[in-house]
Amino acid sequence: MSMPIPTSMPTSASLVDHRSPVAARAERVVKAYGSGETRVTALDAVDVEIERARFTAIMGPSGSGKSTLMHCLAGLDQVSSGKIFVGDAELSAMKDKALTRLRRDRIGFIFQSFNLLPTLNALENITLPMDIAGRRPDQAWLDRVIETVGLADRLKHRPTQLSGGQQQRVAVARALASRPEIIFGDEPTGNLDSRAGAEVLGFLRRSVDELKQTMVMVTHDPVAAAYADRVLFLADGRIVEEMSAPTAEAVLDRMRRFDGRRES
Amino acid sequence: MFKATWRNFFAHKGRLALTLLVVVLSVGFVTGTLLFTDTINRTFDQMFASTSADVTVSQTAAQNQEVSASDPTVPASLVSRLATVPGAASVRGEVSTEQLVVTDAQGHQLSSSGGSPTVGTNWDPNGTSTSLSSGHAPQGQGEAVLDADTASHQRLVIGDELKVVAGPGTFTVKIVGLSQFKTLNPGSAFVYFDTPTAQADLLGKTGVFTSVDLTAAHGTSDDQLKANVLTAIGGHYDVKTAAEETSSNLSGLGFVSVLRVALLGFAGIALLVGAFLIVNTFQMLVAQRTRELGLLRALGASRKQVNRSVRTEAFLLGVIGSTLGIGAGYGLAAGLIVLMRGAGLNMPAGHLALELSTPIAGYAVGIIVTLIAAWGPARRAARISPMAALRDAGMPEDRRASRVRSAIGLVVAGGGAAALVAAANSSGGTGGAMLGLGVLATLVGEVLIGPLLASGVIRVLGLAIPRLFGPVGLLAKRNALRNPRRTGATAAALMIGLSLVAGLSVVSSSLLASASAQLDSSVGADFIITANGDLGVTPQALAAAKATPGLAHVTENKDITAKVGSTAAQADFFASSSTMPQDFTVKTVSGDMARVYSGDGIAIPQDLATAQHIRLGESVPVTFTGGSATDLPVVAITSEDTVFNKGSSYVSLQTLDASLPAAEQPIDFMLFAKADPGQADATYKQLQDRLAGYPQLDVKNQADYKALLHNEVAQLLDLVYGLLGLAIVVAILGVINTLALSVVERTREIGLLRAIGLSRRSLRRMIRLESVLIALFGAILGLGLGMGWGISAQRLMATAGLDVLSIPWPTIVAVLVGAGVVGLLAALLPALRASRMKVLRAIATD
Repeated sequence: MSMPIPTSMPTSASLVDHRSPVAARAERVVKAYGSGETRVTALDAVDVEIERARFTAIMGPSGSGKSTLMHCLAGLDQVSSGKIFVGDAELSAMKDKALTRLRRDRIGFIFQSFNLLPTLNALENITLPMDIAGRRPDQAWLDRVIETVGLADRLKHRPTQLSGGQQQRVAVARALASRPEIIFGDEPTGNLDSRAGAEVLGFLRRSVDELKQTMVMVTHDPVAAAYADRVLFLADGRIVEEMSAPTAEAVLDRMRRFDGRRES
Repeated sequence: MFKATWRNFFAHKGRLALTLLVVVLSVGFVTGTLLFTDTINRTFDQMFASTSADVTVSQTAAQNQEVSASDPTVPASLVSRLATVPGAASVRGEVSTEQLVVTDAQGHQLSSSGGSPTVGTNWDPNGTSTSLSSGHAPQGQGEAVLDADTASHQRLVIGDELKVVAGPGTFTVKIVGLSQFKTLNPGSAFVYFDTPTAQADLLGKTGVFTSVDLTAAHGTSDDQLKANVLTAIGGHYDVKTAAEETSSNLSGLGFVSVLRVALLGFAGIALLVGAFLIVNTFQMLVAQRTRELGLLRALGASRKQVNRSVRTEAFLLGVIGSTLGIGAGYGLAAGLIVLMRGAGLNMPAGHLALELSTPIAGYAVGIIVTLIAAWGPARRAARISPMAALRDAGMPEDRRASRVRSAIGLVVAGGGAAALVAAANSSGGTGGAMLGLGVLATLVGEVLIGPLLASGVIRVLGLAIPRLFGPVGLLAKRNALRNPRRTGATAAALMIGLSLVAGLSVVSSSLLASASAQLDSSVGADFIITANGDLGVTPQALAAAKATPGLAHVTENKDITAKVGSTAAQADFFASSSTMPQDFTVKTVSGDMARVYSGDGIAIPQDLATAQHIRLGESVPVTFTGGSATDLPVVAITSEDTVFNKGSSYVSLQTLDASLPAAEQPIDFMLFAKADPGQADATYKQLQDRLAGYPQLDVKNQADYKALLHNEVAQLLDLVYGLLGLAIVVAILGVINTLALSVVERTREIGLLRAIGLSRRSLRRMIRLESVLIALFGAILGLGLGMGWGISAQRLMATAGLDVLSIPWPTIVAVLVGAGVVGLLAALLPALRASRMKVLRAIATD
């Protein structure tokens, strides 16, 4: 067995702690669609910092810009003005090629549905980002991740042979396996029943606590948000409130106020 | 429901575009062929009608007139006898022959060999079909009028000299006038002389005409005039009205109907290939709309309505495609006619013969094929359960090839293979039918087991891919395998065209190899001199050849037909000088060929001997055309196992001289010659120089003759490959279509791949690899199948002269590599489209 290439592979989780406590940040980020009278501002001068090794939830009513913020932070979408940093890299200055590489090497994704390629089995799906990058997975880490999400006996299964919850767990494992700086989840439990959802959220929580993984999750479910360390509330493209150590009741309360305001 | 169908059709017009193009191409080819051949027929019809006299009187045609030494003639006195026939307004003796070659001063022929012939005729100042456009009519020897179209084509003007090589000899004339056709130019080169010159220098006889033309007086019908002529001169001559002449001329145009059948055959192949594409398109559209169709069912649409909706969509596609295709066919036919004009056949453009049956055939072909192709997908659509609306959008995977289909396919393909093997081991008789059956059954069988083979072959092909191309290669391989039925149908379309290419290339390559081997073993002559056109080897040319220094001997060869035995069976005889055995060895079953040339015996082929119950040594009555019956002994029975002179009987020229007066003998059409020992190269040059004045002759040594054979076969093959190109283009469109629809279908996957870090370049490579895999799969199937056909055909014909099997590996490899390249090219647009997708929108796609 050849030696792993040290530069492209952080070998220990402890390294992470020496870096800046901010994993990603947005500075005066504006995202607008259209122009003139039909101009819609999805993000209106948002400033936000994502703390390293913490679990951040982004909440807000439909159309508040929460998904747009996540897409911009993750390098999936371009901002209209302002700056986005992942670590020390500025995303807003990057072209498609560099963004693709950034997503491949430094970011992990968990989508609401259709996370897996139907032609690949579970293990192949998990290692896909590293295969694309031409990197050899760290076997010990991979084993640990697979054990954490409890998929050891399902590795040779194709996605169609897995339940929805199992599919999302494969997606979580894929996001964790390459040890990205940040994992973004876009309503990762939106398509699951409450039991499977709780299971997946449990894994996300454990990956933050035990593996020191940075996690950002967009959700509209107060119960899901309660798994986070910190909740950002967006309304009309602005961060209107922040909550630490949230509980489901507190989040629900806060969300009700949005609904109340909208109805009034 | 119809409204929904209509909306759907236009909502998916992009996805149907390539399918539409295929219907347009196929229908266009069919209607183009019909229009083109109808137009040729009509043009000739009008031309013959306008150039034929009301009643023509000519010599009763002898069987071998085509190769006879001179044209059959009627005496000049016939003109005066016919002048008194009631109802004849005018009577004119005509001289018209195609037994001549005319060149300009530099030796360039006025009409290309193998193309339309050159016609030499006497000038008719009151002609109904021609008139003088400039200059004056030909008077006396040394003057001629040329048709203006040929003159402009060859850049000749009044005052230029022409060299005329005719049966009686070679002479030079000056162009004194140009003529033009009053109605249509038949496309041949026409050279007009005055009547005495035409008689003496073209026919070699004075006081004769080739025919007498009568014009009916006003109020007398052609039929009435013909009856009057028959009353006046009896039944010794061939008397034809203009209508009869036209129809007998048209019957000589068999090539037009052969052309029509051949072109329609190629159109049929393209249409068959197109059907695969249509099936694939509709299957994919139905699969992509599973949820939508499920919703319709959930909302209360019946199966019948869903089925009808898909079929209506197909019908619309068929109607629109056929309409555009008929337009395209019109353009194609017009283009072909312009092309024909470039080749010298002057046909009026813009006046295509549009029969009502042509658009009907176009619509019928386009609509019926589309409906048949959509039948299966429509049934599948109707079977979609309303539950599909509720399920997640994940594409229902159709991984397993249907067992029943595969089982049927295996049986049919196995049966076909058995038939091919049986054909290979049989000789003649039922072998041909077995071969046809085997070809058809293996083709159908292979289409049926295509999905099954896809899994196997692509897995093998893909073995090297992950190593070479990494995870992108793995994804490409899995994508190609994920729907074997679709991959199978896409590849089958390519397979059909390529199997025909492979089969034909094996047969033609074997034919060339066999001919070449037989040329080596049977032709002892150093030189082979062949005559093109109707003129043949004139006595002067023969004398020139014989006078060439360094030649040991010249063998003359004549083609003549004869009745052999008691029945009326016609046999083709090859009559040669006594030096024949040195120049050409004929394989025999029994007897001795030498005795044909040393005595008065004949050799007949085995089939004729068997059919007529003629045994070796027996004397049989032989009646050479134009002569009377003579009893000749059969001294040899020849083998059918030959490429050259297959089925020919042999006789010596001495024997022929004894049985048939020289005047009735045909002219030599081919000479063999042998040089003195060691003089072959020097003599070759000498011989070519000596015969340079006879442009109808082609002098070749063995090596050049082989090259000529190769060229001729290669040209024919190129033509066939060109026509198969249509089917291959349609198949390529199929690959593009499948990939394009797959890209649409996999939008979310592509979005996901891009999101987790697959670069645009890698994405494009993934799609290209999938395309190359499908194309190579199709090519391997097609080449394998075609080579099987070719080998079986060669084995079948091994005893009929095709005894050397030659597999043209360079062609096979080139086709395989070409298929890979085609795969790459086909993927260009779909790959570009996939790589241009916006990641976010792709992920969010429903």
